[in-house]
Amino acid sequence: MSVGDRYGPTVYERVQATPEFGDLRRRRRRFVFPMSALFLVWYLAYVLLASYAPEFMAIRVAGNVTLGLVIGLLQFVTTFVITTAYVRFADRKLDPAAAAIRQEIES
Amino acid sequence: MDTPSLVALVAIGLVGIASVLIGTLGVRVARSTSDFLVASRTVGAVPNAAAISGEYLSAATFLGVAGIVLREGADGLWYPIAFCAGYLALLLLVAAPLRRSGAYTIPDFAEARLHARGLRRLCTGLVLLIGWLYLLPQLQGAGLALTTLTTLPGWVGVVGAGVLVILSVVGGGMRSITFVQAFQYWLKLTALTVPALIALALFLGSGRELDRPTAPVFAEETTVSVETPVRLEVAADTALRARGTVDGAAVDGPLVWAPGVHDVQAGTELRFAAGSGVPVPAGAPPTDREWLEPHSGGATLLEIYSIMIAGIAGTMGLPHVLVRFYTNPDGRAARRTTVVVLAMIGAVFALVSLLGLLSRAFTPELLVDGRTDGAVLLVPTAVLGDGWAGWLLGGLVSAGAAAAFLSTSSGLVVSLAGVLFTDVLSGRLRDFRIAAVLSAIVPVAPALLVGRMDFALTVPLVFAVAAATFCPLLVLGVWWRGLTPTGAVAGLLVGALLSCVGVASTLVGSVPEGAFGVLLLRPAAVAVPAAFLTMIVVSRLTKATVPADVDRTLLQLHAPERLGLSRERLDSQ
Repeated sequence: MSVGDRYGPTVYERVQATPEFGDLRRRRRRFVFPMSALFLVWYLAYVLLASYAPEFMAIRVAGNVTLGLVIGLLQFVTTFVITTAYVRFADRKLDPAAAAIRQEIES
Repeated sequence: MDTPSLVALVAIGLVGIASVLIGTLGVRVARSTSDFLVASRTVGAVPNAAAISGEYLSAATFLGVAGIVLREGADGLWYPIAFCAGYLALLLLVAAPLRRSGAYTIPDFAEARLHARGLRRLCTGLVLLIGWLYLLPQLQGAGLALTTLTTLPGWVGVVGAGVLVILSVVGGGMRSITFVQAFQYWLKLTALTVPALIALALFLGSGRELDRPTAPVFAEETTVSVETPVRLEVAADTALRARGTVDGAAVDGPLVWAPGVHDVQAGTELRFAAGSGVPVPAGAPPTDREWLEPHSGGATLLEIYSIMIAGIAGTMGLPHVLVRFYTNPDGRAARRTTVVVLAMIGAVFALVSLLGLLSRAFTPELLVDGRTDGAVLLVPTAVLGDGWAGWLLGGLVSAGAAAAFLSTSSGLVVSLAGVLFTDVLSGRLRDFRIAAVLSAIVPVAPALLVGRMDFALTVPLVFAVAAATFCPLLVLGVWWRGLTPTGAVAGLLVGALLSCVGVASTLVGSVPEGAFGVLLLRPAAVAVPAAFLTMIVVSRLTKATVPADVDRTLLQLHAPERLGLSRERLDSQ
């Protein structure tokens, strides 16, 4: 299967040539990669904290609940927050930009 | 057979019948992309998200996470966190570009991106390997559920589960599979919420607590039959009666275990008085306080990192997960669905983790005979007692377990059958049903032959194979124009080899102690970076073979749908 043979190369070349498209691509990369790195570091750092700062993680917040447990649960929350952030970013920044490029090309 | 067994069997039977019925209401067999696309146009966002979650949350999750938490405590939370994060990695790095590529299996993607038949064949082989490896613990989970809940032998569960999966897959189309899996998600959620709330209320009302400097205690006199050899650890002197072989000597009578590790042979019966401390599997935190606190270091740190890398990078490489994105009409809808999916998956993980925590108070005897994976199934009768209330709640949980098993296994079998049908059987057997039967039957034999291992061991291992092979292929394929066919093949082979050494040594069951042993069982920390590195280095060495149309392909992968550049295969059919 060759990808995209329905549209001639001209559309591709024209899209690729627009400065707006380069901008769009940069914007997405600037979001996706730092975000991936950030969440990876946050997860891995938690394990490090648990290994080398057990007293810190064992601080009681309330009753049976330790700080470690709270940060652990926060990991789930972070996953959800990053996802929501990405969806909002894509809706607000990526989609309108793409629509604008399309309009420009079609006109 | 006693009443609770019958109740559980009836509940499991009802789920099977309901799934097959909902499945057969659809007419067509899901065998091509167009079926997924048809599903995408007729299925709403919430049922679709429920179906995705239903498919992702396997029997291993439903049963395994609680078992891990029961044994490992706070350190066990890593597994659900990594599985959730895997979904995020999939969303950020590959979901939308793959949705746009028009390729709905990994072999399709590999060929569209790099135009190499050999690479496609390698990918096909890996999809089958990963899918079959992942079906193994699912089938064995069905066997475990049956032996835990009834007096039937485990093989009945394995074989029965295989038959049910074949019936529901062969009967239905993608649209109906979507509804089956959505139904199964809601059933799983209910089957966890009700016992979790009841157990939580009773636990809080009983004034018991989990934060004790001692081991958990038996609430009443308990006899445990040890069926596979175990090494148990006690934190304080523990009195018990034993009949069988303990610490290498035949015993029949009272014993006192000194703090430390004790070997118990298969066929031994251990009896503990009410209030006596519960021994835990060697290596697991023996006291409740240690169990509640995350504490790792050295080899454990390496192990946890490896589990996390496997979960985060492996989710995108599971054959049934990726395909599901095709039931979204476009990338925008795919993103929205993912948010709902994460909330749904998160809810289930939170509930199973809670059940795992509470099972430490209600079913500590599972720590002794190594059946921690049965915790979710046994909490109902432990909480509500041996009466109709407990049996019915047990029936609900067994229905949930059956749904968990069926949804993931059906999804896997559909994906595997799709690959078998187009890549392996093409031209010989033009029948998708045969491919489906074949996909489901192959893993049954090893599931029966290989002894059951904890989900904590088998599931991350399958994720590790996926992480070390398809994760680098997908991430580099989507984001790096320098990838060459030779580089991809070399990376896949290195990743597969390194991770499969782990699979083989786990199946054989001989693993040395120390960091090397940890890496054999948890190969992701080494295998994933090695596969990435090999792919990059070999691609650099074979620079001349970068496909000529790479810019066009990448443009199509990255240009949002609204540019109108992506192409759905339905259009060309």
